[in-house]
Amino acid sequence: MSHSEKAKQFNGDFNHTTWHDESLWFVREKRDKAVYGVPEFQQLRTLASQIKDHTLSNLDNYLIEFEHNANGNGIQVHWAIDADEHNRIILDIIRLSNSKNIVKSKSMLTEECHLNPFLQKHGVEVVDTDLGERIIQFRDEPPSHIVLPAIHLKKEDVGETFHKHLGTPKGENDPQRLTEAARQHLRQKFVTADVAITGANFAIAETGSIVVCTNEGNADLGVNFAKVHIASMGIEKVIPKWYHLSIFTRLLARSATGQPITTYTSHFTKPRKGAAMHIVIVDNGRANQLGREDFRSSLKCIRCGACMNTCPVYRRSGGHTYNFTVPGPIGSILAPNIDLKKYSSLPFASTLCGSCSDVCPVKIDIHTQLYKWRQIMGKENALPPLKKISMVMTAKILASTKVYNRLGKLARFILRVSPHWLTHATFLNPWAKARELPVPPKESFKTWYEINRASK
Amino acid sequence: MNSRARLLSQIEKNKPALVELPNVPSFQNNAATIEVFETALLKIGGNMIEMNDLTSLVTIIQNKFPGILKIASSLPIATINVNEWTNQQTLEAIELVILEARLGVAENGAVWLSDTDMLHRALPFITQHLVVVLNRKDIVATMHHAYEKIQLPDYGVFIAGPSKTADIEQSLVIGAHGARTMTVLLI
Repeated sequence: MSHSEKAKQFNGDFNHTTWHDESLWFVREKRDKAVYGVPEFQQLRTLASQIKDHTLSNLDNYLIEFEHNANGNGIQVHWAIDADEHNRIILDIIRLSNSKNIVKSKSMLTEECHLNPFLQKHGVEVVDTDLGERIIQFRDEPPSHIVLPAIHLKKEDVGETFHKHLGTPKGENDPQRLTEAARQHLRQKFVTADVAITGANFAIAETGSIVVCTNEGNADLGVNFAKVHIASMGIEKVIPKWYHLSIFTRLLARSATGQPITTYTSHFTKPRKGAAMHIVIVDNGRANQLGREDFRSSLKCIRCGACMNTCPVYRRSGGHTYNFTVPGPIGSILAPNIDLKKYSSLPFASTLCGSCSDVCPVKIDIHTQLYKWRQIMGKENALPPLKKISMVMTAKILASTKVYNRLGKLARFILRVSPHWLTHATFLNPWAKARELPVPPKESFKTWYEINRASK
Repeated sequence: MNSRARLLSQIEKNKPALVELPNVPSFQNNAATIEVFETALLKIGGNMIEMNDLTSLVTIIQNKFPGILKIASSLPIATINVNEWTNQQTLEAIELVILEARLGVAENGAVWLSDTDMLHRALPFITQHLVVVLNRKDIVATMHHAYEKIQLPDYGVFIAGPSKTADIEQSLVIGAHGARTMTVLLI
């Protein structure tokens, strides 16, 4: 199903759509307040963008440097071409360490690789420990946002889910008490965990360290009890120097949730005594994206989610309508690289207003790339027939002054004489679904200008 | 060809021409004052108590945490000894942890703890309440100043306030998995 078809379903519940829209706009407003408090914020964005550009232009060498230094720290580094190889590496580590209890903090990469269902198929249960992720794991749903995975749910939904899975009283919908129930439940999982899986927000070539950012403390609680730590990272997570963390940690949380920094910013360089640490470096299509000149800068993304919170289409359609691990504007330029046909509707899930590019902390030209993907969809024959025909027709009309003028005249006439029920019939005019047409003018602007201004 | 070689050669083939690494200037328009630090810390749900020296530590802790007995600390106030080999059950029962931080960051209220400051790596997270002693001389203005000062640790963490979540309907809840309260004792 295309994005617009799914969005239509989402919009079936008007109040829920409005609530979703306002919840995310609230996060965007918090972001603005946090950003305006930092006088050099724009300078930081430029620096972050330049550092990422530099890193991508020397990515192979930085990955080699990172691996070398991580090895020196006693970390085992693995390389995975695709999701399947990533999943197999992790399963092997779990089996070799004879582990039963696995905890995982938030990692969009493991979602992208569908690690949980893979491990489950092989008899390994994973407990997601981020509160939002635990909620959607209970409900067997994918995340609908990369920072706020359960943003599509109301507290009543969470109350119902926890009643079923954690035995909280029926009708208990208080976020404080629901969070407390999850705290008690997950603390047991932390202290008995054998293996802790995390993602990585940043990997530092210079030191071989990774940095993980959370607000709940679930990554550290998992890793610091377990005997094995496995961190999954995409190839684009590497940054050159330890000092560069200062730029990215100032940008990330402010852009994501409007916090000055995440509650925990954790730096893992060496495993603790008696424990082991593994890092899985994953490609899964990223190196291919690096080769696409128009789209490679999408690899600069630090996964803050600001483009989602600001996007008028995301806010009023929800993350699940994108049908891709990373939804919203950034997801819409990443997804077509993975599967052009399957995700062909995503670059059209945008008004091209450019707000995503304006808030991006690493200055990715997201809306330009959305536009460029549309051109490719057209060339690759990945457009639905109706859209294609209407594009061809529109091009013909706009290319001829004569045809354009005649059709304009005709349209004004028809709009004037037709009854409201006809001009606003949604099967003829989908534009009028939630909008009123303006009163059609008597003449075109061109005619008006000729009469009123041209002679003077 | 193994995956590593395959991936690295594809990256080498696909990467653009070398782009220069920018110089990061020093940022001087931020204040490293106690006021800025405290404002940031309060905003993220933390507390701050100023004291002259550590002689009043026991009194302050008893006043702030009445009835709390299970205390782990690097200071001579601990009732439970913790080291890197302490078992899970002991750690799980700890109510209060008091540690000494090397630096605090004014712009965001975070304090820095490295593994050598925290007795056991899980300690600042598993405890119900966290108190961090910070010398006022060790407050720096921004993360740039912080990273300049930090010695590369085996493991280290910036902690900014108590553990929190807003995963249920964007309602802020303090005390997700980690410490329910976070207090900085400024000496």
